[in-house]
Amino acid sequence: MDRRFSVEGNAVIIGIGDYRVGSFPMATVGLGSCVALILYDARRSIGGLAHVMLPASRGETDRPGKFADTALAVVLREMEDLGCVKTSIVAKLVGGASMFEYSAANLNIGERNVEEIRALLQSRRIRIEAEETGGKVGRSVMYRPGDGGRITVKRADGRCVDL
Amino acid sequence: MELDIYQTDALNELGNIGAAHAATTLSQMLMSPVEMTVPQVKVVDIADVYQYIGDEISALVVFQIQGDLADGGYLVVSMPKGAVIQLTNQMLGTTDLDRDLTEMDQSAVIEIGNIMISAFLDATAELLGIIMLPSPPALAVDMAHAAFESIIAQMAADVNEVVIFSTELKTDAPPVYGSIFLLPNPALLTEILRLLEELIAT
Repeated sequence: MDRRFSVEGNAVIIGIGDYRVGSFPMATVGLGSCVALILYDARRSIGGLAHVMLPASRGETDRPGKFADTALAVVLREMEDLGCVKTSIVAKLVGGASMFEYSAANLNIGERNVEEIRALLQSRRIRIEAEETGGKVGRSVMYRPGDGGRITVKRADGRCVDL
Repeated sequence: MELDIYQTDALNELGNIGAAHAATTLSQMLMSPVEMTVPQVKVVDIADVYQYIGDEISALVVFQIQGDLADGGYLVVSMPKGAVIQLTNQMLGTTDLDRDLTEMDQSAVIEIGNIMISAFLDATAELLGIIMLPSPPALAVDMAHAAFESIIAQMAADVNEVVIFSTELKTDAPPVYGSIFLLPNPALLTEILRLLEELIAT
């Protein structure tokens, strides 16, 4: 394994359908078809990460981090509550893989998640600064909004990528 | 969703029977005794799945449960990469341990998954008196949690919890270990609990 990646002891691990906003280190472990929607405001060193599972909430509100539309809305709102301004927020996306080669059921939701998030960001005029999405590979993410917004992605094939 | 102690017991017992049959077939294939942990059934919040299923590189063979119910949920056989290599080395008489998974390894793990899951479903379906059949298998070799996300996304659009039943199987020679996971959909779970109650009543 590449040594550059480690989930720091103080990092908050964000599970499926969960989200956090702040300047503390955040991590997600084993992203497959889910997408880590990461927002960052460099001027305030504040960011948010949502572990998005599905593209559309269809009116469900109890787990905003679970769906692309509600996740973007709640992370943006909480960042703005902390003083961030939308025009200085940029986005980065990780995940959205298709994990199964020959699949009986429709298990490939990853692509739709990424497409939906791109469209939502565009409609809110938030720029996507970097992406590490798609393919057939799982990924873990370490995000440090308080430390220059550094993002390290560890891929299941052993490669590490900085975003 | 909560399971009371009787429902948990009944499900554990059902899983026990299924896993025991799966373990027997594995034991016959490897010609080696197989140890099995006591099965555990848990109601897990989707945000906590990572606490049960890690990011170790594993081969996961996934089956959808079909039959009386068109979509009953999923069965998964998960084996860490190193264990798969030990397993195919044993079956093919090769010895190289430090290598990537080949097509031969992938075919072997799919076939073993197929045989184990068929035994699991046959035994549980017979006890319940219903028809449960595995779909053709789908394979992923990746971080285990990453592969599970696709399954969770299928099952948990409207709910925030999944029922996960898991058993670990282990042999010493060759040193192979793996797990069987059963994730029933709410409809199948309700049906299983109803049938188990009937069984206990008679």
